[in-house]
Amino acid sequence: MILLENIHKTFGSLEVLKGISGRIPRGEVLAIIGPSGSGKSTLLRSINLLEIPTSGKVFVDNVCVSDKSANVEKLRTKVGMVFQQFNLFPHMSTLENIIYAPMKVKKMARKDAEILGKKLLEKVGLKDKAQTYPPNLSGGQKQRAAIARALAMEPEVILFDEPTSALDPEMVKEVLEVIKSLAHTGITMIIVTHEMGFAREIADRIWFLDEGHLVEDSMSQKFFKSPKTKRAKSFLEKVL
Amino acid sequence: MFLDFERIWPSVPYILQGLPVTLGYMGASLFLGFIGGTFLAVLKVISIKPLNWFANFYTSIFRGTPLLLQLILIYHSTPQLIGYNISIWEAGILAFSLNSAAYMSVHIQGGINTVDKGQMEAALSLGISYPFAMKDIILPQAIKTILPSLVNEAVNLLKESALISFIGGADILRRANIVASEKYLYFEPLLIAGGLYYVLVMILTMGANLLEKKLKTS
Repeated sequence: MILLENIHKTFGSLEVLKGISGRIPRGEVLAIIGPSGSGKSTLLRSINLLEIPTSGKVFVDNVCVSDKSANVEKLRTKVGMVFQQFNLFPHMSTLENIIYAPMKVKKMARKDAEILGKKLLEKVGLKDKAQTYPPNLSGGQKQRAAIARALAMEPEVILFDEPTSALDPEMVKEVLEVIKSLAHTGITMIIVTHEMGFAREIADRIWFLDEGHLVEDSMSQKFFKSPKTKRAKSFLEKVL
Repeated sequence: MFLDFERIWPSVPYILQGLPVTLGYMGASLFLGFIGGTFLAVLKVISIKPLNWFANFYTSIFRGTPLLLQLILIYHSTPQLIGYNISIWEAGILAFSLNSAAYMSVHIQGGINTVDKGQMEAALSLGISYPFAMKDIILPQAIKTILPSLVNEAVNLLKESALISFIGGADILRRANIVASEKYLYFEPLLIAGGLYYVLVMILTMGANLLEKKLKTS
């Protein structure tokens, strides 16, 4: 379970997050939506402390991870992340990308890591790309490999930061299919996305952010049928 | 103009014996300078202010004073300061390495800055610690992009290693000079020495070009 307590984040004089609190139960799929610049990605990145909140607290499994004394590396083994720009390591083969962290962080033996890696590559449909280097993969393949890399650490939570925004339209579907296959398998998923159809289909819960505030926190069906707030309503009218 | 290579000919093997000496200074200093330069570059990019200051100060000192002065200072002041009788080899390699580390750190820092920020974030997000992310993810990419300028640094070291003759190191230049003063012939031995340096530099440069081509295709 993830608990956010009054998260504030400022960059210079710009206040991006203006006090966000919320709770994400284990195994739930949460989609964070909202206009550009509303603070969605910053909020997501605060959960694994790629952004350090200016004030407020982040709890993962009842441990306050935003404490200065907290073990951030241990937190990050529990909370995986998939980036908009994939961020695969270009100097390592696809398989190396996947097995590097389990070997380095979890001290997994290479043999076991390779078995795990190949299993994951098969899961995301890249069985034949194990030895390919990322620059030779298509965008959709890169993102699927990046998902496999995150899964290799067997995280309890995966953060998706606009996972399809950098993809050519014809590759969006293959990535969304992979993400969908992970939903409701026990893993908590938090997805920042502009794909409303996808959010509606996959998410249990929607957070609607606007100007650094969590304006609405609703179950997905309810949100898309009858949003509680005016701002959410006008946003949905614009994007749907 | 009278060129008398015949009288020099018997001394050529003696000059050639300076080749491993020169290459030894270059190789050792390149290796140590690279390690030092990498270390300094990392000190410059991590977000701990005093370490940034230290690395920048170090770099400005070694780039802002003559290498020859650094060499002589290390050679002559080490016995005075700590009572250790430093050898020519030690003083030379120390001075060249410390100096070259400063120059290389600038290149390596530039290389680190060209690596996308997302690379570090991706590594950290997997629970990898900062030092390992730096060593395994960032530096290999950074160094690949700056390999050509590192070869350039090797060329500089090769030429600058001739300064060792000032404190008595028996490198190519020093040996050519000895031959010159023995035979009262200056042009010929120095020409041979110059030719040797030039050929070595050309070989390095050609290697660098090949390397660059190979990197471009990969």
